[in-house]
Amino acid sequence: MANEQIFVGLEIGTTKISVIVAEARADDQISILGVGETPSRGVRKGEIVDMETVTECVREAILDAEDKTNVEIGNVWVAITGSHLESFNNRGSLALPEERQIEPEDLDAVEISAKEVAIPTPNTFLHTILQAYHVDGNQNVIDPLKSEGAMLEADFHIVHGIKTRIHNTLRCIESLKIGIEDVVLSSLASAQVVLSQDQKNYGALMIDIGGGTTDYLVYIDGSIRHSGVLALGGDHITNDISVGLRLPIARAELLKIQEGSATDPAGSPGGIILLKNDPRFLGCDVDRTSLDTIIYLRVNEIFELIRRDIESSVEGMIDLIRGVMITGGGSKLKGIAQVAEEVFEIPVELTRARNVSGATQIFEDPQYSTAIGLTKYARLVTKNIAPESMLERFTQRLGSLFKKRSR
Amino acid sequence: MNTNPSRRILVGVGNAGVTVLDMLSVEVPGMTGLLAVNNDRDSLNASIVRDKIEVPEGDPGEGFRVIDDEFGQALDGASVVILCGGLGGETGSFLLPALAIRAKSTGLTTMACVGMPFSFEGKHRRDLAERALEKLQEICDAVIVIGNDQLSGGSPSTAAVGEAFLLSDRTLLASLLALSGMLSTSGPVKITRADIHNVLGKPGALTHFGFGKAEGSNRLHEALERAMKSPLLALPGKGSALKETSMILLLLRGAKDISFAEVQAVVGKIEQIAGDNCQIKVGVHADGPLGSPLELYLLASSGGTVRKPAKTIESIEPSEPIGSNRITLPQPIKSIREGEMPSRRAPLEKGADEFFPALTNPTSKSGMKPAVSPKQMQGTLALDTYQRGRFDKSEPTIFEGEDLDVPTFLRKGIKLNPPSRK
Repeated sequence: MANEQIFVGLEIGTTKISVIVAEARADDQISILGVGETPSRGVRKGEIVDMETVTECVREAILDAEDKTNVEIGNVWVAITGSHLESFNNRGSLALPEERQIEPEDLDAVEISAKEVAIPTPNTFLHTILQAYHVDGNQNVIDPLKSEGAMLEADFHIVHGIKTRIHNTLRCIESLKIGIEDVVLSSLASAQVVLSQDQKNYGALMIDIGGGTTDYLVYIDGSIRHSGVLALGGDHITNDISVGLRLPIARAELLKIQEGSATDPAGSPGGIILLKNDPRFLGCDVDRTSLDTIIYLRVNEIFELIRRDIESSVEGMIDLIRGVMITGGGSKLKGIAQVAEEVFEIPVELTRARNVSGATQIFEDPQYSTAIGLTKYARLVTKNIAPESMLERFTQRLGSLFKKRSR
Repeated sequence: MNTNPSRRILVGVGNAGVTVLDMLSVEVPGMTGLLAVNNDRDSLNASIVRDKIEVPEGDPGEGFRVIDDEFGQALDGASVVILCGGLGGETGSFLLPALAIRAKSTGLTTMACVGMPFSFEGKHRRDLAERALEKLQEICDAVIVIGNDQLSGGSPSTAAVGEAFLLSDRTLLASLLALSGMLSTSGPVKITRADIHNVLGKPGALTHFGFGKAEGSNRLHEALERAMKSPLLALPGKGSALKETSMILLLLRGAKDISFAEVQAVVGKIEQIAGDNCQIKVGVHADGPLGSPLELYLLASSGGTVRKPAKTIESIEPSEPIGSNRITLPQPIKSIREGEMPSRRAPLEKGADEFFPALTNPTSKSGMKPAVSPKQMQGTLALDTYQRGRFDKSEPTIFEGEDLDVPTFLRKGIKLNPPSRK
């Protein structure tokens, strides 16, 4: 068992904090040992607003995971989200002094040149993800290290965010005397387990609907072309129900889970939903069409916003997306796939972590996609065997860079 | 160039100051009351500013004579002088205090926007700059200090040296615009010279300055966000500097359609950051054509020693009871009809009306009495009656001017059947 490594993924979500403990097996698979979890307090829209409370919640979740797995957690991989995160694509270029074989240092240099762009002063780079190399105008060179040339260019997807907000997350974990292996964009983590390599190559949009945020990522030709965070999520649906039907938040949440449907209210069966009395709530009758209308409008709007963002980011990109994969706790809402199909006009699939083994009940729930994805990401970044794709080979190199930076 | 009709003179001193005035002339064509002062003939000749004074180099006696005579003449008819330049060089460090003394001796309100040198410019310049700044703060009624080091603190290390200086000049220009804009606010909501002195008249204080510009339906939030990103609004390791201040000056400049709700929203957001103990003084210039971008300027200071008002402060035209014009969020103006100005001491009544009075009269100068002119434009007051529910106290998610925390069905105006209680 000497080859086996333990990876811990920590997601500080708006609804819950989850800790996934997974074992990397020799056959390139991730096997989940267990999950620690606590309801989250002090997080709004994916960002920490109450440091003390969140730290306490994270401690509980870590202890819970340690209890369940008998693993002593020393280092974690952390997912990060929030509307402050922004992304763009940029090309770096490097003119070699003479025509020669490309060296690994050249790859580093071209990456640095791609990062020589002005980002807002409070921001810092989170990810620089390779899309493709070009040598002497020769597009999409698979392995530049084996080619000769005088001009090396590379396209990158660059993610940046506000330094202080990223630091908040780090500070919270460090105060628990837990080491941080790396910080990973939530959607990038989720994509590692919900998208297959074929889907990435074919062109896919992954949407992870959480409590406070909706994170999305576009893969085309096997590389990331766009990513985004929308500070809207399941909490907004609950809030809309609470405002529209004048229900307390807790009752609205329950109603959403039990009766909620995102399908077009034109097809709603109508009728009345009876809400029973309970000690803190006087019962009432709720009009189902009204409930459906509230949810449909919000969900439809979330997808519309994503579509518009993708359309405005890179021209023509939306036409290259062949399928939409929806994951996250929000994907459990009835009828959500139909609404997405209406908006994107391409096949939509509800999905969850795949290519993992272990405690199956855990990964069958889409709300753990990000935390499980973290462990898979960790595996890809740290393993020494040949990675399955160019992207992953690159993230591997990136991972070592990150470590240099964070220590 | 005897009498200056705007009664406000902006003086660019030294190479940096002249550059800033040139940038200003390009950005605001037709601006009057600009004066370039330098000892470098080439720089003066290259400048597009019309009025120039060359102070001869190497002969202090002659230099003082020129300042006394030519600069003194240029001050004729002015009521406020704003000096602008970089400290640290021989020119600015010497000329700025000298000109300030001359202006002050005429009894004018004298203010300055100065840049402090980068640390890479060396200790000598730093010392020179600090001594000059000390003098300036002693003399002037208000001084804005732009720390170049602080300013460049957040920029990528790959930034070119030229870019760093350009950023510094741009910030000086913005601070100059902010100060002169604040001085000419009028109407029921204005910033007085006493306010400016209160914030910027403390020797040794750190100036906190931010500005942002944006257009489109989400202009206000974007402008504020940009302004808040200014490195000069941050205290190292402490977060926003606004928390440490007792008074913030806020200037909004833009199109005629700046709405009361927008002003309220921005004040509310700043209050959230600065806390309840901070006074926010608001000035609005809503005189631009429709569609022109919204500019937002924030000025505050922290630390420093409080000084008694300089003598000339008392000579300000009696215009405004100090401290009467603070906007607080939950008090929408009810209704003010033309010519029927409420006593500005009276609290604004609660309630809502379709209209709000223009917050400024663009053509009136700081000295004029703040009467409401009959030409005042009116705009629609977009009342924020939406319910944000549980997101009430969280940072709003704004997209194209829409607050996405507000339920979609409310924003789209869809009617629902309310639940029936038994």
